[in-house]
Amino acid sequence: MKKDKLTQEFKTERERKVLGHLVFTSPKYKLWVAFLILIIIFGMFGYYRQLRYGLEVTAMRDYTSWGIYISNFVFFVAISLVGSLISSILKLNKNDWARPLTRISEMIAVAAIICAAVIIIVDMGRPDRFFFVITHLRIQSPIIWDVIIISTYLTISLLLLFISLLPDIAVCRDKLTAIPKWKKFMYRVLAINWKNSDVQIAKLRKVTTILAITVLPVAFAIHTVTSWLFATTWRPGWDSTNLGPYFVSGAFMAGAAVIIFAMYLLRIHLNLKEYITNRHFDKMGRLLVLLSLVYLYFNINEYLGPAFKMVGVEGEHIIELFTGKYAPMYWLVQVGGLILPIIFLIFRPFRRPLPIFIISFFVILGAWFKRFLIVIPSLQHPYLPIQGVDESYLHYNPTWEEWAITMASFAWLLLIITVLIKLFPVIPVHDKIENKEEVEPKSLKNEAS
Amino acid sequence: MKLPKYINTTISRLSILLIIVYLNSSFMYGQDSMEDASITVTFSEEDGVKTLIAAATDQEGLPIEDLELYFYVKRTFSLLPIGDPFNSTDENGIIEMEFANDLPGDTEGNLEIVIKLFESDLYNDMTVEVTKDWGIPIIIEDPKSEKRSLWSAAANAPLTLIVLITSMIAAVWYIICYIIFTLFKISRIKD
Repeated sequence: MKKDKLTQEFKTERERKVLGHLVFTSPKYKLWVAFLILIIIFGMFGYYRQLRYGLEVTAMRDYTSWGIYISNFVFFVAISLVGSLISSILKLNKNDWARPLTRISEMIAVAAIICAAVIIIVDMGRPDRFFFVITHLRIQSPIIWDVIIISTYLTISLLLLFISLLPDIAVCRDKLTAIPKWKKFMYRVLAINWKNSDVQIAKLRKVTTILAITVLPVAFAIHTVTSWLFATTWRPGWDSTNLGPYFVSGAFMAGAAVIIFAMYLLRIHLNLKEYITNRHFDKMGRLLVLLSLVYLYFNINEYLGPAFKMVGVEGEHIIELFTGKYAPMYWLVQVGGLILPIIFLIFRPFRRPLPIFIISFFVILGAWFKRFLIVIPSLQHPYLPIQGVDESYLHYNPTWEEWAITMASFAWLLLIITVLIKLFPVIPVHDKIENKEEVEPKSLKNEAS
Repeated sequence: MKLPKYINTTISRLSILLIIVYLNSSFMYGQDSMEDASITVTFSEEDGVKTLIAAATDQEGLPIEDLELYFYVKRTFSLLPIGDPFNSTDENGIIEMEFANDLPGDTEGNLEIVIKLFESDLYNDMTVEVTKDWGIPIIIEDPKSEKRSLWSAAANAPLTLIVLITSMIAAVWYIICYIIFTLFKISRIKD
């Protein structure tokens, strides 16, 4: 009954396709949300135990003081760069084909940066003392630079999402009637009196360009500063000037893979085949090859020098990665998550939706374990070994609490994205602004007059 | 009451044993009874050479020969041994030790010198502490005058770093504020 009434509201098929999911809630969606909440509850229980008994419940000890929480943090920061990749780099380079991907990339960026900030607090033994970081701020500390840049990037990501959403929120406010009151209220407040007037459009166009330019240095800074947390610490594997570009290039690669992954799921579950086409997968596949090649280049730089010299602990670290304890993971990540995807994606048939979806899944998996390999083996080779170390210091096998919390952080990420998709159009509905950019300035003037 | 003979014999034998044990022990302790030594410390300085002189005497004021003494200077967490590892008094009961010139003292150059006598067969363990201004006075820098550096306290961060970071934050947040302000203006447009 309700459904029939709503179908009449959508004037065009296009409207129904891109706005339909905001109105109808499928049982599949409810099941998915319930599943995510279940994982979150389990993770919360793990976190309760961590708060109750302290970080002792984790496998982190004096040597490995940064565990999977921090590798997870680096991963989240990495994928948050995807917002700037699509909304800034591709946009400023006039890659119009990427337009339908802007919204989802911005949503992922916002969700990832929120989770990155939260996971840092989870890693703290005394989260209640978090504000001491602010009140006892020491500007010389790279950790403070990271806190500053994360909050800045979070703000910019939210603005980026909001600005591109604004005309669409107004569309939701005006067109969606069969929605609960709170949703109507939310659209009304968030639409900030948007009337689609020329003056408003001109102003919004201006800030969109300003923001697209601003987000780029901030995005580079956020991941470079994250790499400096490691590069400024004297440890084997981190003591490298290559770390900044190495992290940034890896982030763009992981981000592109995440977008492809999300594109496929959206296409299937929201039935958006007309908007996310095979061409998009093909283009994103090419982009992923390019970004992976850049990352491969920095990987060679990162490992060749120390592997050629094999000096002291640095050499031990390399041996551990190449042939030692971490060798299986290392080669799986490098071959399965980097080299093979490049080879496969060079060929067009592998850039079709399903193959590229599977390949990007391996790239994402590789990207996560790559962060594990960056963080943990380095910590197990300190330059100043402690005398009479406890046996537990020498290994790091994350406990179930750590896995539960990490899984919960992923569930949070997915839940935030899911809720954002449920609340706002995931394909830009109102692209009048975007269209106007294509119009010659002269004709724009005529239109305004 | 008359005790059986064998009990009598046992008691008398035990009594004799106890008396022997008692006498023996009192004899042994009497032989080894420890006394306190007395250690006096004097200092002499000639042509820049500083010499610490420790003289050991017994209760009767007679010099103790061949008495091992250990010399230290008190540091923050422990005692720093100074001089030779082993120092024994000569026939006059004296140890002369050349004192190092380069030990940091307190703000006035005072050093707390500790002389220990321990594990001697004849004399009780003892410790003598004397203060002498033979150290190099240390200058405690006013924390406010600490040089600006990457490793200094928060208040003394390098100025270039503060200026650089502040200007970068200001630039980005100026743009953010400008965008928020523009959004506010957009919301006020009546068309």
